[in-house]
Amino acid sequence: MSEIIVVENLVKRFKDVVAVNGVSFTIRKGEIFALLGPNGAGKTTTIHIIATLLRPTSGIVLVAGYDAVKNADEVRKRIGVVFQDPSLDNQLSAYDNMYIHGRLNGLRGRELHEKITKLLELVELKEYAHKKVMYFSGGMRRRLEIARSLLHEPEILILDEPTIGLDPQSRAKIWDYIKYLKKEFNMTILMTTHYMDEAEELAHRIAIMDKGKVLAMGTAEELKSMLGQDVIYVTLKKISDDNNLCKLFDFVKACNMLDGNRLELVVDDASKALPEVFRVVSLNSLQVAEASYRRPTLNEVFLHLTGRELRDSLEQPSVPQRRRVRGFR
Amino acid sequence: MSSSDAFASMIYRQLKRWWNNRSRVVMTVLNPLLWMVFLGLGWGGIFSPQSIPTAPGIPNMPSVADVIVKAIENYFKQLFGGVDYVTFMITGIVVMSAFMASFISGISVIWDKQFGFLKETLVASAPRSVVILGRIVGDGIVAAIQSLLIVLVSLLLTNNINLVNTPIAILYVFIMTLGFTALGTTISLKFSSMEGFQMVVNLITMPLIFMSGVFYPPTTMPEWMKWIAKFNPLTYSVHAVRYWLAGANAGFEYMNPLTDLAILIAFTSLMLVTAVKTFEKTTVED
Repeated sequence: MSEIIVVENLVKRFKDVVAVNGVSFTIRKGEIFALLGPNGAGKTTTIHIIATLLRPTSGIVLVAGYDAVKNADEVRKRIGVVFQDPSLDNQLSAYDNMYIHGRLNGLRGRELHEKITKLLELVELKEYAHKKVMYFSGGMRRRLEIARSLLHEPEILILDEPTIGLDPQSRAKIWDYIKYLKKEFNMTILMTTHYMDEAEELAHRIAIMDKGKVLAMGTAEELKSMLGQDVIYVTLKKISDDNNLCKLFDFVKACNMLDGNRLELVVDDASKALPEVFRVVSLNSLQVAEASYRRPTLNEVFLHLTGRELRDSLEQPSVPQRRRVRGFR
Repeated sequence: MSSSDAFASMIYRQLKRWWNNRSRVVMTVLNPLLWMVFLGLGWGGIFSPQSIPTAPGIPNMPSVADVIVKAIENYFKQLFGGVDYVTFMITGIVVMSAFMASFISGISVIWDKQFGFLKETLVASAPRSVVILGRIVGDGIVAAIQSLLIVLVSLLLTNNINLVNTPIAILYVFIMTLGFTALGTTISLKFSSMEGFQMVVNLITMPLIFMSGVFYPPTTMPEWMKWIAKFNPLTYSVHAVRYWLAGANAGFEYMNPLTDLAILIAFTSLMLVTAVKTFEKTTVED
């Protein structure tokens, strides 16, 4: 069977928010699949449902042919998960964290010991093996979590924002591990990220998510080719009453009105098309406040799909935290 | 894969956490010791009258005072099930500290929730029932070790402790702690908020302790309190542990080591089943 994860029409409603609203996708065996989107897009919720940590409101999730609700035990046997939030036991050493994970997932004895040593070496934490995790830096903890999730060599590895909050070196290192895993074990990897470069660098296929829905899906190239060669962005000073500004630009391949008096024009060659754009604007007694053009990246794809920049939506606070916890001890 | 591995690993984790936290190890012995020394020795003097001033002018009647002292002593001894107050209370404290330790360790699942380790146990490939039972048994072992330490410390304060029967007493303690750890676990799996956490602990533990016969025999309680004490599993473990450690029998008529055992096993089984069912249904939403 080549489709190892099937998600069909998944809906998850929390008390007051619909976090996931009819998401469908399939992941093939041995591919790296990324859910890309801003915070609050529903990526983590989707992943939690696949990992049997949440029950869906409706929809179907099959992992290796097993229903994630009815056959949760079978699903859990096949997955390894790295959570976005820490899930280590801070009061224990790195080695003990690995050891307990191994025993919880069916490993023991010499084999377990050797694997722990090998993996700690891989993530360059071997010399800290017997230090308590509470003294570790964020990057070290992240690497330890990844090492831990690899211990039982799951068929499917689920990574929730694997490099969030990490410095560039640690990010690069984790990217390398992910590629190594794919190459070495032909692992199926499902990851979420809000970094476009990360999705582009690692994933075979990307699903762009926003507000609980998948807006587009495909390889990075396929997604970018939705836009063509170049994209021109023109912000007008004052918008006319005429909503249909696009009809003025009959020479472009595609035209799209975005937020805030902004036009998205898809063209073959922006340097040639720009003078023509200016001419049309002034002919219609409008004024250009700002103009730019870019080779489309996933950011432009996101902008095209949502009318917002992915970066901008990152600035906005995500869904308010539901659980307020006061830390002591 | 074998489930016993997962079971063992959770026991290992709970023991290791306890052992890594040395100050906690010291506190678990120190705190009950304070109770024993100050409450036990402090009150102990009251319940064992040493001297009653003999009225002058009745030189022929010194024995009357002695008789009164003896009578008072006997009265209290009978109330305390045949032992002096210090022994009575110390044997109660052994159970109390194990009870506190187990309930709090059950409740500490809420820390695992906050620090994320709970998720790690929720996605493990081992069956969830095995994982949570391992955790509970691990905590039970910790509590049993603690109460054994307290029994040893109590030897400094009283010489009425029967060391031969101590393992039996600890077994009762162990069974009880499984039940209360499971109860604490269920409570913290159900409630997500840390707020009021300390209050809930006090609200549940204090009344249970006071209505169990740790500090005073249940037979002298007011009727309504007696009624609650009969439904309090702690009452039965206090009675049984006191019986095995000091040979005291301070409880209701129907209580004996066997009924105590039966009731404790019933209570613990019920709590364990509840905890397992709750853990199996746990999601990160709760």
